[in-house]
Amino acid sequence: MCENANIPVSGLDAIGVRVEGPDLQALARETARPLLHEIRHALERLLKTGEETVIDLRSLPLGELGERYLLEELGTGELDCRLEALGASTVRESAYPGVWVVTHENAAGVMVGRFLEVTFLPSILKSDPIDVRSGLDRLTERLEADPGDAAKENAVAP
Amino acid sequence: MASNMTLGESLRRRGVSRRGFLKFCAATASMMALPPGSVPALAAALEKARRPSVIWLSFQECTGCAESITRADAPTLEGLIFDYISLDYQHTLMAAAGDAAEAAREAAMHENAGKYLVIVDGSIPVKDDGIYSTIAGMTNLQILKDTAKDAAAIISLGSCAAFGGIPKANPNPTGAVAVSDIVKDKPIINVPGCPPIPVVITGVIAQYLAFGTLPELDVHGRPKAFFGQNIHDRCYRRPFYERGLFAETFDDEGAKAGWCLWKLGCKGPITYNACAVTKWNFGTSFPIQAGHGCIGCSEPDFWDKGGFYEPLAAGTYAPGAGLVSAAAVGVAVGVGSAVLARNSQKALHKEGA
Amino acid sequence: MSLLDFARGPALEWSLLIMVFGIFWRLVGTFLFKGQVYLSKPKGTRFVAAGLRTIATRSWPDERLERTIRFQHYSGYLFHITLFIVIFLFEPHIEFFKWLLGFSWPGLPTNAVTFAAAVTVATLIALGIRRATNPIMKSITNADDWLSWLVTIGPVVTGMMAFAHQNIGIRYEDLLGIHILSVCLLFIWIPFGKLMHMFLLFPGRYQIGEKFEFRGVRA
Repeated sequence: MCENANIPVSGLDAIGVRVEGPDLQALARETARPLLHEIRHALERLLKTGEETVIDLRSLPLGELGERYLLEELGTGELDCRLEALGASTVRESAYPGVWVVTHENAAGVMVGRFLEVTFLPSILKSDPIDVRSGLDRLTERLEADPGDAAKENAVAP
Repeated sequence: MASNMTLGESLRRRGVSRRGFLKFCAATASMMALPPGSVPALAAALEKARRPSVIWLSFQECTGCAESITRADAPTLEGLIFDYISLDYQHTLMAAAGDAAEAAREAAMHENAGKYLVIVDGSIPVKDDGIYSTIAGMTNLQILKDTAKDAAAIISLGSCAAFGGIPKANPNPTGAVAVSDIVKDKPIINVPGCPPIPVVITGVIAQYLAFGTLPELDVHGRPKAFFGQNIHDRCYRRPFYERGLFAETFDDEGAKAGWCLWKLGCKGPITYNACAVTKWNFGTSFPIQAGHGCIGCSEPDFWDKGGFYEPLAAGTYAPGAGLVSAAAVGVAVGVGSAVLARNSQKALHKEGA
Repeated sequence: MSLLDFARGPALEWSLLIMVFGIFWRLVGTFLFKGQVYLSKPKGTRFVAAGLRTIATRSWPDERLERTIRFQHYSGYLFHITLFIVIFLFEPHIEFFKWLLGFSWPGLPTNAVTFAAAVTVATLIALGIRRATNPIMKSITNADDWLSWLVTIGPVVTGMMAFAHQNIGIRYEDLLGIHILSVCLLFIWIPFGKLMHMFLLFPGRYQIGEKFEFRGVRA
């Protein structure tokens, strides 16, 4: 890692950058609105039949501004979970219960996926039986290696 | 050698939890443009995937493609999957050398006959019986034919293996050709680029591991998930092209304002790759964003399309001298026909016409 | 070699050579033709002025004639002006000329050119329908007319298709290749048919003015 990360690269910040373009905010709103309707229908389905919906935001031509607008519209709710597995992930319930924003980053901090899940509980939050089994094995091993004084006293020969 | 441990077991042994695994499956499905509904199936399939034997053949190449894949300075699941495959033969990465290395290759081919994957980078010279590139006394041509015989599939990594690349550029002194020009009876996936984007190759391997199938390929044999869109259609500078605002030089006002680089030779409109979406160096940037036009490195013969700084409207040759000669010849023929015409006019006039 | 490489390479090279050769051959051959011999004394003296004046006067038909050909008259002018805009004021085309000639000039915003191209195609189709249905036009039309019409409308239509490639479904590089090949066809045909009017029109009118000045008549 570079120790002197504060040294500015000479000259580059002197190059002015000017971006001209159409009203991108309005464009962003236009592209994101239909998605909000889709989420509404997904919530109705969830309540009626329990059917879950996953929307891959990377597969949609939203663009950076469109995605930002969408996430602002969805807002934040009560739960904000952080997952550390091969990089950070966040599972955040939006201001609309049942609509979750799941963002995955890899270990380099680069976003590798962003999904909208319309569900009562995103499956990634649940503990997996395989991991539980593996944890149980570890705990059992630990307890058997060091049973503690009470256990030694109570050990009864058959 | 390929072991009996599944990919799922291997990842767990390396401390990857179920959540980490599911996260990777979701990200891979997204990258391969698979629908989110297919993630459980992908996870189940990858969980059970058997470790494939992979033989990596390096021919007329610069090793840039191998460098591109191994540039993982932080452990990513792509890197782990890459570690997981049994890379039984690879010049840069393997410890063995010389005869021992060649023996390893032959043993892997023998033990996994019909099931091993072959990755090729670099083109294959065929002129003069292929003597312009040899390894351990054998020509590349012979090695490819031998190794491809019992392979399950071949991945042509990089533009050299996929299309011939730089060695094939005019005048192609070594007679360089692509893998698909030599191997005709095996499934081949072309993953071009100079070099290809790292996640593309791992995505292809992941799909092959998970489903045992090759991804959907386009007309040039490239996975549509990564090579289905051209750069132009995903370029953030497209609005400027549509309005006719172009940078004329690399340092003018238009360039500073981020205008379209079409006039400076950008080949984005005819180049199909994921650069504008996936970008390079972990999503940092790509050539157009850095201010240089796309050179079209994932297309066949990109070195011979007239020049990186000539726009697509220009011809691929220098027009001047030929046109001057054509004009001169035209004038000469014109004078000749005028002389003939005047002679017959004179004759007619004499007759009193 | 892909279609586009062929179009930007050998096809462009040979079509340009044929066009340049053909134009010079026809122009030199035509102008070196022995002019009409006048055996009488000239009645007028200002030949150059007469020639130039006739170029101007023949650019607008006489009122009595104009009444009957009004549609063709205005459509013809409109088509030529919009075609000029499409060919010479579209930035990518200006790049082509910069490659060919070594110099360039400013262009128009792309939206303006797209509009001009649409008008060009519509006008060409309207004039084509007139040529096919009007009895006088039908009787004087020959293969040269239709071929010239085809090689002119072809590049404009294929150019619009290339520009709108997202909506067509054919790969862009193939659309661009087809467009360039259609232009090569146009290049090849220019010296050999009525499209040579682009070079012969003004010298022709000049000669008429000269001739009538000799006879002492205002043409």
